[in-house]
Amino acid sequence: MPGGDFHPVFFSIVAAWILAAGIGVVVSRSVVRAAVSMVFCFLGVAFAFALMNSALLAVIQILIYVGAISVVIIFGIMLTEPQQGPKPKFFTRQAIWVAPIAVAAAVLIAVVLLSSDLLSAGETALNPDLRGTARLLFNEYVFPFELVSLVLLAAMVGAIVLARKDDGR
Amino acid sequence: MNPVEWYFLLAALLFCIGAFGVLARRNLIIIVMSLELMLNAVNIALVAAANFIPAAAGKGTLFVLFVITIAAAEVTVGLAIIIANYRNRRSVKADEYDEMKG
Repeated sequence: MPGGDFHPVFFSIVAAWILAAGIGVVVSRSVVRAAVSMVFCFLGVAFAFALMNSALLAVIQILIYVGAISVVIIFGIMLTEPQQGPKPKFFTRQAIWVAPIAVAAAVLIAVVLLSSDLLSAGETALNPDLRGTARLLFNEYVFPFELVSLVLLAAMVGAIVLARKDDGR
Repeated sequence: MNPVEWYFLLAALLFCIGAFGVLARRNLIIIVMSLELMLNAVNIALVAAANFIPAAAGKGTLFVLFVITIAAAEVTVGLAIIIANYRNRRSVKADEYDEMKG
C-alpha cells in the first residue's frame, strides 16, 4: 500500500499543528502574528492532504493558500493597519457568550462522532490519482469548471471596482 | 473510531475555532482569516470523506478544488470591501460600522 493507510502518529502531529496554529489565529493580539499563524495552519492542512494520499491537493493548497491568499491578506493588513489607541479591544462584547457556545458545539460534534458508527469506512485510501481526477474534472464536471472561471473573472472585476479610489468621476 | 472519524473530528475542531474567531474578534481582517480557517476545515472533511468512504471516492477532490477557487474569489472581494470601507471610516473594527443600526 503506497502510503495509503492511516498513520496515527503522523495524524496526531499534523492535527496538533493545525489546531495550535488555528488557535493562534483567533487569539493573537497583533494582526501580523495572526497572519503568520494562519500561514502555518494552511501548511498543516497541506500536510493533512498529503497524509490522505492527495498530493495534487497538497500542492494546490500550498500554491493557492500559502502563496496567493496569504499574500492578499498581508497586503490587506499593510493597507489598513493603524494601531490607534493605547489599549485597543481585541474581542467584541459578545465574545463571552461565543466562547462557551463554540466549545459546546465542538464537544457536541465530538460526542456524536465518538458514539456513531454510521460510516462503513475502510482503512485503505481511495483517492484517485491525477489521471482519474482529470478524467472526472474534464468529463463529468466540465460545466462547473467553466462556470467557476466566470466567477473568478467577476470577482477580479468586482475587487478592482470596489477598491479603486473614487476620483470624482 | 475509524480514520475518517478522526479526520472529521479535526475538521470540526478547526471549524469551531474559526467560528469563534468570526464571531468574537473585532478586526475585520482577522474575521476574514477565521473564515479561511472554516473553509479549510470543510476541505479536510471533504478530502477525508473522499479518501476513506467508497461512495464518495474521487468526488471530494473535485469539490475541494472548487471550494479553493471560490475561497480565492471570496477573499479578494472581501478584502476589497474592507479597504473601501477603511477609506471612508479609517477603521477596520467590526463594531464601528453601525450606520444601519435601527
